[in-house]
Amino acid sequence: MKKADKNIGRFVFSFAAICLFGAFMALPVAGAPDIPQGFDSDGEKIFNRYNDTSLAALTGTDGRRNLNTFYELRQYPGSPPRIPHAVPFFYKDDNSNCLACHGRGGYDAGQDAYAPVTPHPENESCFQCHVPRRTEDLFVEIDWQSISPPRLGRSQLGGSPPAIPHSLQLRKDCLACHAGPAAVAEIRVEHASRGNCRQCHVSMATSGLKKEFQRNQEPGQ
Amino acid sequence: MKVNRRSFIKSAAATSAMATAASLFPGVSFAGWKKLEGASGMISWQKAPCRFCGTGCGVLVGVSGDRAVAVKGDPNCSVNKGLCCIKGYHSVQALYGKDRLTKAKVRKNGKMVTVPIKEALDVIAAKIKETIDKHGKDSVAMYGSGQWTIPDGYVASKLFKGCLGTNNVEANARLCMASAVTGFMTSFGIDEPMGCYEDIEHADVMVTWGNNMAEMHPVLFSRMLASRKRKKDVTIIDLATRTTRSSQASDKSILFIPNTDLAIANAICYEIIRNGWVNKSFIKNHTTFHKGKTNIGYGTEDHFSFKDKPEDISFQDYKNFLKDYTPEKVEKISGVSARDIKYLASLYGDPTKKVTSFWCMGMNQHVRGTWINNLVYNIHLLTGKISTPGNSPFSLTGQPSACGTVREVGTLTHKLPYGVVMKQKAREKAEKIWDLPAGSIDPKPTYHTVEMFRALDRGDIRFMWIQVTNPMVTMPNLNRYRNGALREDRFVVVSDVYPTPTTDIADVILPAAMWIEQEGMYGNSERRTQHFDEIVPPPGEAMSDTWQIIEVARRLGFKKQFPWSKDDYIGPLWEEYRRFHDNPKHNMASYKVLKARSGVQWPFVNGKETRWRFNPKYDPACKKGSKFDFYGKKDGKAWIWARPYEPAAESPDQEYNFWLCTGRVIEHWHTGSMTRRVPILHEAMPESYVEINPEDAMDLGVVNGEKVKIVSRRGTVTMKASINGRGVPPRGTVFVPFFDESYLINEVTLDAFCPISKQADYKKCAVRLEKV
Ligand code: SF4
Repeated sequence: MKKADKNIGRFVFSFAAICLFGAFMALPVAGAPDIPQGFDSDGEKIFNRYNDTSLAALTGTDGRRNLNTFYELRQYPGSPPRIPHAVPFFYKDDNSNCLACHGRGGYDAGQDAYAPVTPHPENESCFQCHVPRRTEDLFVEIDWQSISPPRLGRSQLGGSPPAIPHSLQLRKDCLACHAGPAAVAEIRVEHASRGNCRQCHVSMATSGLKKEFQRNQEPGQ
Repeated sequence: MKVNRRSFIKSAAATSAMATAASLFPGVSFAGWKKLEGASGMISWQKAPCRFCGTGCGVLVGVSGDRAVAVKGDPNCSVNKGLCCIKGYHSVQALYGKDRLTKAKVRKNGKMVTVPIKEALDVIAAKIKETIDKHGKDSVAMYGSGQWTIPDGYVASKLFKGCLGTNNVEANARLCMASAVTGFMTSFGIDEPMGCYEDIEHADVMVTWGNNMAEMHPVLFSRMLASRKRKKDVTIIDLATRTTRSSQASDKSILFIPNTDLAIANAICYEIIRNGWVNKSFIKNHTTFHKGKTNIGYGTEDHFSFKDKPEDISFQDYKNFLKDYTPEKVEKISGVSARDIKYLASLYGDPTKKVTSFWCMGMNQHVRGTWINNLVYNIHLLTGKISTPGNSPFSLTGQPSACGTVREVGTLTHKLPYGVVMKQKAREKAEKIWDLPAGSIDPKPTYHTVEMFRALDRGDIRFMWIQVTNPMVTMPNLNRYRNGALREDRFVVVSDVYPTPTTDIADVILPAAMWIEQEGMYGNSERRTQHFDEIVPPPGEAMSDTWQIIEVARRLGFKKQFPWSKDDYIGPLWEEYRRFHDNPKHNMASYKVLKARSGVQWPFVNGKETRWRFNPKYDPACKKGSKFDFYGKKDGKAWIWARPYEPAAESPDQEYNFWLCTGRVIEHWHTGSMTRRVPILHEAMPESYVEINPEDAMDLGVVNGEKVKIVSRRGTVTMKASINGRGVPPRGTVFVPFFDESYLINEVTLDAFCPISKQADYKKCAVRLEKV
């Protein structure tokens, strides 16, 4: 419980930090030293935001969110990830709280990171599938094994668009995970603006082992 | 490690395929689990119902070699349409705890010794024989579970009720849904819900009666939220005794004093009548009015017995009865404002709104469980909001096969797969199908669960076989029943998958196949039967509970009744069982159909599932030309009951001044013997706690995480306080999750039960708190 307390404390602190940050941005900053003059009001805001965001966070290249950390939160490829940061036990309005950051993404000063975007914001009961970790101890050891995560970029031909190596269930929104500053570095795509992902990338996560296709022997049989 | 994004992408493009992350981040072991050989996508997916709650989600288990390696929601299953909850997603990990029981053990000179399973089965058979010879047939008992597969329960009933001739068969579902059954039987004369989960998408208003669905039936709750989001004008009301996640997500949370739901339901009916919201033609054509005995006791004493005496009354009598339940009077009893009661009544009464009520343990684990079930049916019957899409009084179950195995197979002392033991016709039917001489089945029921454990304590029962359940954590007033089980000359066999406090008291432990390590069926809350294959092999000598029973039956000389081969017994067994339900009110799908589909609802008539019962539009068992036909009752009419408010068995007083309520959390299934072995679930919810209202905590001088001693007349537990935690009880109430065997809260609870259903009330007893 002590730990949870501290975590809640951290949460409150970071919330406060966000508030302060917001308040700071709302203040007229004219006259402050170091601030270049001559922006229109929006420009100033944008500049301040930019100035306060670390370069690594801006480019999403700090390496903190990579495939390894991605899978470390999972028990097998495709399992719902654990919540890697503190969340309070009790929310007044728990659903919108998660979605405030994970609905559309964006920079969170408390975490000093961009929030990953959920591919299924239509599901509101986040804690139905995602839980935080409150202890590192196990109840008993477990002999758990699973398959390797899919290899990346498995094109059938050199240069051909790789197939989608995972099931699309709950993960139909490609851009949620494959574009934007919070995307895992290794799976972020450069050409997100093309939009229609499945024009070139098809799903290969078929059920079952590959079977030889067999034609019907005789019509009607 | 810094990777410049531009150059990273460039280099990736240059090599045409991105390198794997392992080489990108050298020295970091990739992902948290041990890897099996084989590429992703090369696993096969096989359907099964989820192992855990009564929602009965369909899952697809990813299999690689002979191991289960992944889970996803089964998109073909209409229950969950591809979505699970955290337990379902990680369910397969529960197969692989390091301390799985894989070998049989027998107590020899006071010590548990590992033996070949054959020897253990010999010991069991010999012990059953010896005990019957010495103490009579009613000295041996089987205690099963709503997590038994249907075949498990069926062979247990066949062996004990049929072959051995004792009605000593009970299941933990007695403690989980017996009041739901007696509620259905007294109101409709036939068990199980008339509606189905599709009611969620049709309803305009959903009321949860003491049912924290966000944690206990999470997938159904997310269906409710999704429907509200889509349709916009959907209202969810949470009626409960503490503030939970469900209260937070609902549109309105109403808190009431424990046990006063009886008064609230009556007040709603009072208001419906007063405002003229009664569906007159419905009650005239489809209902009759009745009353039963009052002041019916609480069953806390041994040999308690009760028989209700129903009497017919008129609508006018019923109206007079309700005069004690004006919203203003009930406000004083229940703590719910008259305004809120009127608001609830207006929702139920509004003829333009479709209303579904959900409930589970809050109404069933209740010293007047049968009554409160009756009373909520009353609301739906008075307004005619029943058996049509979206209008549903919906009794949910907690366990994956409480309906399938316990209610349908009838693994309760008074029941048979068809009918009750008291009825000659039912006995004859069973004797015929089971190929037994006439008179094999005893016409007298013996012990219900609580009384069965009392009988073990007293010595009336000397041998008990416990399968798929953990009563040494879950029996109320646990101290007495543990001491009873440990007495001299008691023999306890436990079949389970992990060591538990129940295997600790066993004389024989049988390693059981778990879930998808065997073929079987479950039956969920909405009359859906769900078949699963043996998907992975059981470890070591572990054996399905069904086959354990068959092995013992054969050793006892009942080869004729249990003729099946080990390679193919579920199919023939199912087809035999199905003969019991061979009528349009209960017809079950064939083995072949079950195998092919992700669950099939009964009555399954002419190849079609029945979504809404008692409504001729959907239910072929109804009389033609009627608008509704409640065919469980002889005259086709449902019963409206005048049932009063009566207080709980034990209410807070000067000395014990708090209510204690117990329950579950989303992460853990029942006593946690499976889910606590799943890393993510244990890490999220490592231990139990006591939820205290912040102001009560202040008075006690206790802060979050400090230890508190909970004391009742029966026992004490010391555990950490949770203040403003996941749930917040109102002043004067505390709540404790029961999953943690290190904090046996059931040593504190009371073994009072509903005199009609004999289901214990785990939600109400009196305790005091001490700071330690
Ligand atoms: S809601 Fe129940 S049945 Fe569905 S996945 Fe969760 S525990 Fe399993």
